[in-house]
Amino acid sequence: MRTTPVLTRLAWRYLWRNHRRTIIMLSAIVIGVWAMIFMTALTRGMVDQMIKDGISVLPGHVQAHNPLFLDDPSVSNRISIGDAELSRMFDPLSFKAWASRVKVPAVITSERESRGVTLLGIDPAAERAFSFVTYDDVEGRFLESAEDNAVVIGRKLANTLDTRIGKRVVLMSQDPDNEIADRGFRVAGLFEASMPAFEEMYVFVGKKTAQKMLRIGDATTEIVFVGDDYRDVEPTYDRVRETLDGDLKVSRWYEIDTYLGTMLKVMDGFVLIWVIVIFLALSFGLVNTLVMAVFERIREIGLMLALGMKPASILGQIIIESMMLLAVGLAIGDLLAWATIQPLKEGIDISAVAEGMEMMGASSVLYPKLYLYDMLLANVVVLILGFLASLSPAWRASRYEPVEAITKVG
Amino acid sequence: MNKQLVLPLILFVIPTFAAETELDATRLVREAIDHWRGLSSYTELTMVIHRPDWERSMTMRAWTKGQDQTLVRVVEPKKDRGNGTLTDENSMWTFSPKVNRVIKIPSSMMGQSWMGSDFSNKDIARADDIVDQYDHTILQVEENDGVTVYDVQSIPHEDAAVVWGREVLRIRDDYVVVEHAFYDQDDELVKKLVSLEIGEMGGRTIAKRQRMIKIEEPDEWTEISVNDVVYEIELKDSLFTLSNLRNPRD
Repeated sequence: MRTTPVLTRLAWRYLWRNHRRTIIMLSAIVIGVWAMIFMTALTRGMVDQMIKDGISVLPGHVQAHNPLFLDDPSVSNRISIGDAELSRMFDPLSFKAWASRVKVPAVITSERESRGVTLLGIDPAAERAFSFVTYDDVEGRFLESAEDNAVVIGRKLANTLDTRIGKRVVLMSQDPDNEIADRGFRVAGLFEASMPAFEEMYVFVGKKTAQKMLRIGDATTEIVFVGDDYRDVEPTYDRVRETLDGDLKVSRWYEIDTYLGTMLKVMDGFVLIWVIVIFLALSFGLVNTLVMAVFERIREIGLMLALGMKPASILGQIIIESMMLLAVGLAIGDLLAWATIQPLKEGIDISAVAEGMEMMGASSVLYPKLYLYDMLLANVVVLILGFLASLSPAWRASRYEPVEAITKVG
Repeated sequence: MNKQLVLPLILFVIPTFAAETELDATRLVREAIDHWRGLSSYTELTMVIHRPDWERSMTMRAWTKGQDQTLVRVVEPKKDRGNGTLTDENSMWTFSPKVNRVIKIPSSMMGQSWMGSDFSNKDIARADDIVDQYDHTILQVEENDGVTVYDVQSIPHEDAAVVWGREVLRIRDDYVVVEHAFYDQDDELVKKLVSLEIGEMGGRTIAKRQRMIKIEEPDEWTEISVNDVVYEIELKDSLFTLSNLRNPRD
């Protein structure tokens, strides 16, 4: 391998002998790499946002329900463990946050309209940390305690119902005996959510008030736990399961929202496929360039072989050439991608297509997310596949017969 | 009478007077509902649902007993014959012979229209709510052709399951409701039930023809006319059962 420095120098010089071709090839690689990384960052950002929004509404990384609740979310399938008991069980476990809540389908009615919604009876203090509503941003006020007699609804829902802060609406649901449970509530506040659909879907009332209205004592229907990272919920899941000891069905967030869970898995595969697809397009250019470079130099290669250069060195030189080309292209491409993503960190406003995005469950501001992993993946894939692609022209060059090559015309 | 005694007397009299009118108002509403329904009743009625581009009419028979039990059955038109509604306390069931199923109306559907009319299921099932979920006061008293008409204002309790800001009932001294108006919380009139024809029937003076009008859509209304009514009749409890709703035995 003594020859490697020489070969490297030769390869480098050769690259710039035909600088126009090299620059064209380089720009193709740069654009390809940039597209790989930039597009990946965009999709990553979108999926991350969807999952963050999704989890914030679920909310929590792990949830516990009555085993029948997920199929039939009514108060008949409630959790009859009281709050005192729950606190005794879960407070010592030091989760990031946990809360028990009443979550049932309900109908909200104003003078003019009625809509199906999900009623959330919450203890506002317990959920402040992870609620998808920022309490302080609520127009009017958010619930003040679990006994609060008011209701907080989304701004969009208020528009649909033609109601506003200070007016009364009626919430209707069913009690455990399937009798109607209803009550009037005064609207205390209007919340805004990053996803307009949430504004129409959720209404907040005090937990105690909801329990009284539904006549379920101090029972709840859902316990939520927030761990440290949504990508790693196992520790939280295991501890909750152990503590509950089979009484309730404990689920991870991706089991409850299977759409989101699948989305996350698909995303990881998608990044790889995306990188490979772009590379395939790129590889034609790369192979073509190398083949050209070899054809052009047949006589030169023949001369070098005649002077005693080993075929292996010829092979090495061509491969080094292609690797250099790719490395320079990757470096510039990475830099360019980073440079375009950095100023967009604050989010890209895509409200022009917000309606379509909302159908997918994404919000109208896109925050590109550059992961080191994605960048490395793109680089490694390009280098490995690039190496494989350059093997064939390099092999061919090293197999020339010196005499034939030197005398070759053209 | 010396001056020192008068003031306490006035202070004492005013609250009792206020309390009395309030009680009177509540009693008036209670009596009006009882008068309209009786302890038990059997009614044959026609309901006309009017829309700008169509109109349909149904003939029905209805039984009521006490405050809670009601059974309504459609007689005509033929295609709706046998459709029935049963209410008992706060629950409501419907039966349709076409699907041969009794369906309990879930709470989510209580706000929806009853048989396509301008009445909601809730209006039918829970007419009594107005007595105890509201505060009643008499707004004014009018003399009209020898009949006294009371305007009773009913404001729902804070936690009552009522969306209206207030309701105003015009009740005659013989307990016939002349008009029942629903105001939203901005005090705008939304809809009203007007008695178009008042007369003698079944031994009582009742509203023979009533029309529910939406103020914003004057072309849409539902009219209920009573064709025949019998009050205080003997009704078996078995009448108000799910099996009777499904298989009529009358």
